[in-house]
Amino acid sequence: MTAMTSLQYIHKKGRFGDSNKKGGKNLLQISEVKNLAIIQLVQYKKSKIEPGTIKIGDLDLPLKSPKVTTDKETRILWNAPRTWLVISSKKNIISTIKDKCDDKNFAVTDISHSRAVIQIKGIQAKEVLKKGCPININEIQVNSCAGTVFNGITVMVDFVNNNPDTFNLLALRSFGETFYHHITDSALEFGYFGV
Amino acid sequence: MLEIKCPYCGSRSQNEFSYGGDSNAKRPELGKEVSDKDWDNFIYLRKNPRGKHSELWHHVAGCRQWFKVLRDTSTHEIFKTAKLTDEL
Repeated sequence: MTAMTSLQYIHKKGRFGDSNKKGGKNLLQISEVKNLAIIQLVQYKKSKIEPGTIKIGDLDLPLKSPKVTTDKETRILWNAPRTWLVISSKKNIISTIKDKCDDKNFAVTDISHSRAVIQIKGIQAKEVLKKGCPININEIQVNSCAGTVFNGITVMVDFVNNNPDTFNLLALRSFGETFYHHITDSALEFGYFGV
Repeated sequence: MLEIKCPYCGSRSQNEFSYGGDSNAKRPELGKEVSDKDWDNFIYLRKNPRGKHSELWHHVAGCRQWFKVLRDTSTHEIFKTAKLTDEL
């Protein structure tokens, strides 16, 4: 049995908005990112372990905002002091994390089911974000992240790639539908392709 | 709209934050006898200055950390922000 994703009956595929005569990098793509393991890692206050010494696979835990460490399958986002989000396409990532982060020092929680993940990709991706996010999108660097709001909805913005600009946007699952409509409404002006 | 410098995330827009009140309110010591008046003062009595005010703010849409802000209540100028463990 396959788990139902948060946008399974919401996300529509095809061309929308002002997408005529646009294609390739000129056309914004919006998709739902599925089958990701999203693990929240929190170091207890009493823990004496230095997080800089811990590696998840080959990845260090980023120690400051807005750092993200990444390889092909896994991204580790700095979420807050002593708090990280590990986002991975590896199914067994939670056991890898638990091997490195023992339960006396860390709380490891699988929150994969509780997030809606939308990816926007294309040269206008930053323009779409600027419509709802108060952060300075022009200054955000590739492989960095920011916890912020989009039209009042709390989201995590993860800048995945800059060729073309690609952002993964994580919102609480229960806000997924509203958030999806906010993003797609903002993208209509540029035209988009639902993938 | 204010721009508030979170000690953990840097400068962000006010709508990522939530106001948490006066940072100088001190809870009566635990385990000691507290008079009704002292408790009432702790719960309800706050200074309401015109000028510099030390406040608590919560970066509710970002790192979810509480921190202190020294703000002018008449001009909204923010002079300094600090972690809870640090002095303003």
